[in-house]
Amino acid sequence: MVSQHGILYAVHLITNQFGNLVAKVCECLLRNGALTLQAIVRRTELSPAKVRNCLLVLIQHNCAQAFILEESVSGEDAGEPGKALTQYIALFVNILHRVRFSKFMDVVSKELGGSCGELFRGLLEHGRLTVKQIVDRAGANAKESTNTVQEDLGKLVMAHYVECCPAPEPLVPPPDADTKKRAKSSKVMVEPLTLEQRVMAVAMPSAMRRFSFVPNADQVADDQQNVNQPPSKDVGEKRKLHDLESDTALEEEVECNWRANFEELLRRLRHKTCVDTIKVRFDDAAATVLSAMLEASRAEEDKVKTANSVPLSLNTIYEEVVKNEKNHSMTFDHVRTCLEELSCPPTFVKTDDESYSIDFTKITEAAQSEEIESIVLKRFGETAYKIFRLLFRAGCLMETDKIADRIFAEKKETSKTLFKMWQDGYLLMELLVLCKHLNILPPAIKCYCICRNWLWAVQTGPSYGGSSYLLWKVNKRLLRETILDEMFHAALNLNLRLAHEIDQNKEVLNLPPDKREGPDKQKFDRLRNVRLLIHSSLMKLDDAIMLFHDF
Amino acid sequence: MSRLQSPSALKRKRPDSNSQGMTDQESVVYKLIHEKENMGIWVRDIKRSSNLQDTIVNKSIKTLLDKGMIKEVINVQNKTRKTYLAAEFEPSPELTGGAWYDDGNLDVDFINAVKKLCSQKIKQLKVATVESVMDSVKASGAFKADLKKNHFEEIFGALVLDNEVMEVESNGMGEFAGIKVGKVCYKAIGKRRVGAAAAAAAAAEPRIGAMASIPCGVCPRISSCTPDGVISPGTCVYYQKWLDF
Repeated sequence: MVSQHGILYAVHLITNQFGNLVAKVCECLLRNGALTLQAIVRRTELSPAKVRNCLLVLIQHNCAQAFILEESVSGEDAGEPGKALTQYIALFVNILHRVRFSKFMDVVSKELGGSCGELFRGLLEHGRLTVKQIVDRAGANAKESTNTVQEDLGKLVMAHYVECCPAPEPLVPPPDADTKKRAKSSKVMVEPLTLEQRVMAVAMPSAMRRFSFVPNADQVADDQQNVNQPPSKDVGEKRKLHDLESDTALEEEVECNWRANFEELLRRLRHKTCVDTIKVRFDDAAATVLSAMLEASRAEEDKVKTANSVPLSLNTIYEEVVKNEKNHSMTFDHVRTCLEELSCPPTFVKTDDESYSIDFTKITEAAQSEEIESIVLKRFGETAYKIFRLLFRAGCLMETDKIADRIFAEKKETSKTLFKMWQDGYLLMELLVLCKHLNILPPAIKCYCICRNWLWAVQTGPSYGGSSYLLWKVNKRLLRETILDEMFHAALNLNLRLAHEIDQNKEVLNLPPDKREGPDKQKFDRLRNVRLLIHSSLMKLDDAIMLFHDF
Repeated sequence: MSRLQSPSALKRKRPDSNSQGMTDQESVVYKLIHEKENMGIWVRDIKRSSNLQDTIVNKSIKTLLDKGMIKEVINVQNKTRKTYLAAEFEPSPELTGGAWYDDGNLDVDFINAVKKLCSQKIKQLKVATVESVMDSVKASGAFKADLKKNHFEEIFGALVLDNEVMEVESNGMGEFAGIKVGKVCYKAIGKRRVGAAAAAAAAAEPRIGAMASIPCGVCPRISSCTPDGVISPGTCVYYQKWLDF
């Protein structure tokens, strides 16, 4: 379930890029889950044609997916009994990816070079393209030959940065069949998939089909299919909503085959975060060894949120380390020492019978803890920082006085800080009441009542003649959700503030450069610095959002 | 005259007094206090247990204090409670708070001094156990107070919470050679750099997270903030200050 500010942030991103109408349809889907076309029309009060066009834009840019549920539909949209209706679901994760395009470009360009990067940029801008459209675009922009473009596309597909698009309207089986199938093969309790996950799991082509690109084969097929089609829009321009409303060509479905594979890109970014985390906690050598392990096990990774990498021998790791010219001076013993250090608790690298594997969960948790502790320190102060670290590590309820003793703080200050953190949702509080006497029990027997309602305890505690203790705990799962929602809120606020600053200074922006003098020039320079600061803060904050949401 | 009275009892006693010059009520109060030895007793508990009137108990306590037979101590667990101890006993650590308290108050200067010294010792030793640091600190004679192993364990716990040291387990190899496998050890936190890089790292400010480096991340009013509300990104004074170059 997407949080409130997650929805607001996603809607803001869509509004900025596609306009208010598309954003309205997107918000309707995000708030209500999967809906049919009729349901969206009813809720948004837009015409069916406009809703359809908005959905096409969202689907084109991978922000929505159509599907059909196998079971019969009941309720307000029921048609004939057993008749399946097409529903649409917003893909929240993909909407968030739209702010990461520059990071994705960076990954691709560094690994595969400028021409692949340029081709990839086209896919990001347009959402999805056929091979012909890719070739036409490259020819228009950089005058590249068809063979070069196809070669570049082949490289991107081989590296799994580009994939074949999912099925347009897959048939999704009921959840019971799906869960049972997975439960049979797994002895561990598995969390049920969300509807979005189920839809995408079915929509995705098989691994072979997904990353199978045959040069020229697609172009021939496209040429044959497009012979009787009206001319499509120029590939070089992005689709804007105002164009959609008048462009009847889009009323017909445009065949698009290829799109950016966000899963692989997220995996790269996760690797980068892991390496950065290790670099901060250890040193450059340890980061180099970890990086080599990631590279060596890359082909075997099949999920973004995989818990561990495949086990590797010391020899394999060493060979991967020295492949890079910069690491030629690293000795075998040095690599072994780094691995031993990484294997010490909190055990970022697990060892098992002379093989080593990376524990992604531990590294991610360490990075998340660091981020949360940073917030707690700045927001609540040093005492709160120590309290938080104590409770986070303890993982259980602790009494106020005990906490004060452990952190060497005065009890009054500790109590005050605990309440502040609890009010902001960073801690859970429980009240323990020790009762000496209860009507139904002999007076000699003490009994313990755990009371969750603070007001109730105040009213009843003294009448029993007992004493009460406040117990505190960090609920890690709830806390992560709270922090993530605050991050979405902060990202939205950064965007809104930037828009506000630009709006306040639009007169200065409209001045030609040679007319900017004195106060106008100062305002312009200030606005430039504001933009730089907010943009870099947004990128850094997005890294943190990925850490809590995607990794 | 009672038949049960002994010859010494023939001497007529002063009414309500005993051999120590205490009245019966004072004796009851003193006995209750003395029984608790070094744990002390709260005045309300004295009143409850003795079944004497409040005024009599208060008067008895005052007399015993004047005679120097009992003393009042501060209970760090609850400073508002008047707690009394027989004069010959020293208050227990539960009452005084132990080595870290001075006159009922947390001795912050002393605690910080011990923490600083322990932290330095850990950095020197690279990998340290509680025992090795304790021996080193005691040998230096830096502190008059008799600190036990549990005191050092508390200090080490606090250093971990300060994020100055990390707790690890010895695997008996490498830097842990010589330390029993499974033994809890401590290492200073910080990158292993040398020379100019080490100096630069030491001088650098601690890393601030992404969220903590923007106004919203540390805003106490974020839950009240809305795009068009009274508190909003457009009107926010924290943003104004942050963007005031």
